[in-house]
Amino acid sequence: MQNVYEQVEANKTKSIVIVALFTAFIVGAAYLIGQSLGDANILPIALAFSLISSVGSYFYGPNLVLSLNGAKPAARKEFFDFYTVTENLALAAQIPVPQIYVIDSPAPNAFATGRDPKHAYVCATTGLLTKLNRTELEGVVAHELSHIKNYDTRLMTIVAVLIGTLSLFTNLAFRNSMYRDSDSDRKSGTPAIIGLVLIIFSPIIAQLIQLAISRRREYLADASAVMLTRQPSGLINALKIISADATKFSQASTATAPLYISNPFRGNKIASLFSTHPPLNERIKALESML
Amino acid sequence: MFIFLGLLVLVVLYIVGFYNGLKTTEVRIGASIQEIGNQLKRQAELIPNLVDSVKGYLTHEKGIFTQLTDARKLVTTALETQDPKAIDKAQASLTQALRSITVIAESNPEIKASNLVSNLMGELRDTSDKVMYARRTLIDLTADFNVKISTIPGIWFASMFGFKAKPGLETPTSGDFLTVNPKDTAPPQVKL
Repeated sequence: MQNVYEQVEANKTKSIVIVALFTAFIVGAAYLIGQSLGDANILPIALAFSLISSVGSYFYGPNLVLSLNGAKPAARKEFFDFYTVTENLALAAQIPVPQIYVIDSPAPNAFATGRDPKHAYVCATTGLLTKLNRTELEGVVAHELSHIKNYDTRLMTIVAVLIGTLSLFTNLAFRNSMYRDSDSDRKSGTPAIIGLVLIIFSPIIAQLIQLAISRRREYLADASAVMLTRQPSGLINALKIISADATKFSQASTATAPLYISNPFRGNKIASLFSTHPPLNERIKALESML
Repeated sequence: MFIFLGLLVLVVLYIVGFYNGLKTTEVRIGASIQEIGNQLKRQAELIPNLVDSVKGYLTHEKGIFTQLTDARKLVTTALETQDPKAIDKAQASLTQALRSITVIAESNPEIKASNLVSNLMGELRDTSDKVMYARRTLIDLTADFNVKISTIPGIWFASMFGFKAKPGLETPTSGDFLTVNPKDTAPPQVKL
């Protein structure tokens, strides 16, 4: 098992590796497409595009994730327990108090984002806030603050934004190749095939990346959350309530799914094949062994 | 020769790191003690004000209830004596009380009162949580510090810099509270 400092270092390194892989993938794909089209302009454009989206995901990824999920800043008066619990646990975790956001959705879920503990955000759905009591909420918030402290949020947010960009890119490639196909007599076989390959491979790549980074860190964040609250029962009960709840979560997308405390697409069989989260009952079991 | 020199550099680097790490923790322990004081101060200023505001609201409601019972008494005496002046007076006081009640009813009195009380309970729990977490920080930092200076290899260098074990949150180490009496095992009774 890694300790916290090794975890932080690993996350920072992985963030850089992911950005490098992303750039390599985009530039490589652009090179192939450029070759087949005989168009050299596409390469610098792709390079600029991947650089901009990488830098953008680092600085503006968190804001993008928040607005994509329809999150709004939470007021102390309206969300008293959520607000004060976050304040208290930030004190215990010895990090600055993150910015506190709320999503208006009945599905109980929560996530954290931000590039480092000084630029961090915690977000919960209104469903979570109404369904959990204060002790259970402390467990969930402690879990999210652990992600912030471990720099999981930096890695996860970058991955989420880049995967989103990638799927945008492949969609464009797909549409482009369709367009060219229908454009009759030009030699358009190759780009069409590349577009198809991109479409088939990029979700798989995306899923593999998510799998590689996500499963174990959930256990680690659960354990660190218990270190903060010293009450495993709070998080256990919260996870039980979350797993028993079948409300649909309409705001979440596949790209942002790994950020959440529990997979927003639970119950969907194909989605759970590529799940970035360990099953809730196994997390509960691991926590119960700490009681 | 070079191997020896290299080893020496490594040892010096280790000692520098060790010293800086401990000093940082020491400063943080000091800050966490201040934080406890800070939270206690917050609590001392916040709670009396909160209680006052709730009290103020409840006496306001009590005033309405006494107004209402007074009006009711006036009505009964007026009905007994059949004195037109008394009836007039009763009617006036009843309208007064009713008017106050509608005002409260419009702002949903019971919910509002219970909201105020539950707000107070929420703030009370939050402030004691804050003090508890501030203390927790002190305990955790002290444990970190003490482990570092009392385990190998830290123990070899700690005395060199005069680092001593920190007391952390001071609790008496002997006395009644360290033993569990049969009385303590009984479930607590809550009387309302």
